[in-house]
Amino acid sequence: MKALRVAAVADIHLGEDIRGHYRKKLEGIEHRAEVLLVGGDLTRHGTREEGRVVADELCDLPIPVIAVLGNHDYHSDAEEEITAMLRDAGIIVLDDDAAVVSLDGVRLGVAGGKGFGGGFAGKCASEFGEPETKAFVRHTKEIAERWRHALKDLDADHRVVLSHYSPVKDTLAGEPPEIYPFLGSYLLAEAADAEGADLIVHGHAHLGTEKGMTPGGIRVRNVALPVIEHAYAVYCLDGEGVH
Amino acid sequence: METPQYVAARIQRALAEDERTNELGIRVDVRGDQVFLRGQVSCEERRHGIEDVAREAAPGLTVHNEIRLLEVRAPGEEEHL
Repeated sequence: MKALRVAAVADIHLGEDIRGHYRKKLEGIEHRAEVLLVGGDLTRHGTREEGRVVADELCDLPIPVIAVLGNHDYHSDAEEEITAMLRDAGIIVLDDDAAVVSLDGVRLGVAGGKGFGGGFAGKCASEFGEPETKAFVRHTKEIAERWRHALKDLDADHRVVLSHYSPVKDTLAGEPPEIYPFLGSYLLAEAADAEGADLIVHGHAHLGTEKGMTPGGIRVRNVALPVIEHAYAVYCLDGEGVH
Repeated sequence: METPQYVAARIQRALAEDERTNELGIRVDVRGDQVFLRGQVSCEERRHGIEDVAREAAPGLTVHNEIRLLEVRAPGEEEHL
């Protein structure tokens, strides 16, 4: 099977003030990768106007673009409109589901969504106590459960999980440990480990580290723009297929 | 004088919650009457906006804007997994 080159970035935080800048960096991407994954925090304030900038910057690329939203994209309660705008621009937006794209005869399956926090095994919140705490933890549990189903049903040669929040602590190194529970949850990694994937990409942690691994051995990459410091990172999935 | 930890927390909260900034990734340190802002943003306008919000949240203190502009380089070498 042919190897696939996956370009990935997150936390591009676009707005009118930097309109056009990121688009320029995407020139020639078709020579470097077969697909572009964008791991959330597409905007800064989550407004419709910023959503329009994102749609304009990412539309009509010569390769497919698959994105998820991040917490910033929810801030102005316009997440559904932003999602619709991006979809109208031809971008595949995942919302706790999956999509398969055929790239030169190789089927790439991507599952995921925004994800959420809660913390990491042994140091995490539980669904216990006040309703507010329970709701916080339940939100992550429900997301992880939907990802598990999406991955189970995903029939593809390569499988990638795309998230905004982190599934592991490794890629948070550099962030203050006190805020880890707001940066991700091990439940996301557990879902991927249960069903198998070749790679998990995420963003959210600007001060984190690029490389990590789930307890089950799936490679995790934090592609937040301030972490990778390049327009996008490129990961080459070699011919072997699903982990 | 107000405790520096509370001043830093107030500035950090303002940077996250103020509609002009909504910045979560800025480190704020307060030493005496000096405030230090560190982090990375995409343009000069955002860098100044953060400084303005920090000044309003900490009147009377001296704000040092050490935020640097994020330089997005051309894509580098690919990684084989």
